[in-house]
Amino acid sequence: MAEQLLDQIRDVFEGQIDFEGQKLAEFLVNVALMLVGAIAFFAGYLLQDIKLAVYLGLGGTVLVFVLVVPPWPFFNRNPVKWLPVRGGISAPANLVVDDKVLG
Amino acid sequence: MYSSLVRLQNTFSFFTTVAFVVAAFIAASDLLAPRTPTVSLLKTTNLQVVRGRPHYYSSKKEEYAIIKFSLEADFSSLFTWNTKQLFVYVTAEWPSAGGTGSGRNATNQAVIWDTIITAPSADHLANIGPVAMKKLKRSAQGKSIDPSRGKLSLKNQRPKYQITHPSGKVAEQEDVVLRLHYNVQPWVGVLTWNQDEEFWKWKPLRGSLSKKFSLPALKKKDEGKKEGSRV
Repeated sequence: MAEQLLDQIRDVFEGQIDFEGQKLAEFLVNVALMLVGAIAFFAGYLLQDIKLAVYLGLGGTVLVFVLVVPPWPFFNRNPVKWLPVRGGISAPANLVVDDKVLG
Repeated sequence: MYSSLVRLQNTFSFFTTVAFVVAAFIAASDLLAPRTPTVSLLKTTNLQVVRGRPHYYSSKKEEYAIIKFSLEADFSSLFTWNTKQLFVYVTAEWPSAGGTGSGRNATNQAVIWDTIITAPSADHLANIGPVAMKKLKRSAQGKSIDPSRGKLSLKNQRPKYQITHPSGKVAEQEDVVLRLHYNVQPWVGVLTWNQDEEFWKWKPLRGSLSKKFSLPALKKKDEGKKEGSRV
């Protein structure tokens, strides 16, 4: 019970995503952050307001963090399909792991 | 990009790069803003030389020049979105008397008055009391920049600093001039001082020198005392 809970917590904390998701995340980070920087600069320059530029830049960056850091479902749409376990290799009989008998 | 921690680190890493590039662009945007500071008036209105001590317990007596002046200048073009504050100061300059080695042909220069003009984006940094701070912030309410703060108009201004010389003698000094200086301090970028040469859109500060004048003779003792008791 405790192990299951710890496993779940670890999975949530690690937030693993699949390979396609990793590619997408990298693309999103690059494009979104550059866009935020450009918007912050031009809005600040046109309105002659440096504080606006700073707040736009920081706020936009926070949004990018929210978009990219958690393992959103759209990062996990292409799970790796492992080959099925082929016969021939089987666990030895009466293998004891953590006081439990497997096999 | 495999786990959340790696994504956090990579995103922050690229954020620092973007922040640096945006800051570089902001610094470069200063070059696009024309700078046309002008001085329409800089003259002395009252000159006085008195004897005094550098500090209360000093036994040494020195001569101090008290130079009152009038100033009309327009620095409003120096205020852009990247201007944090403008430092304006007036110096008195006079040629060095003789001297040897590096002292020859040197110019004595001493600040007699200065002021810091903050841009509205830097008002909270001004070193003033709460009442003055409220007034300052209200003066620029709703404005991100306030070029009108760059218009200086001083009439018969008392100097902030009474100046002397290492020799302790300044009375009857000839060929003294006042010079107005400025120093633009941006949020990001390089500090720039008053220029002598034109640099693309940045014009030099003309008319920043006053006419030559001579400091008066030392005040008589009783007169000096009267002056001292008033201050």
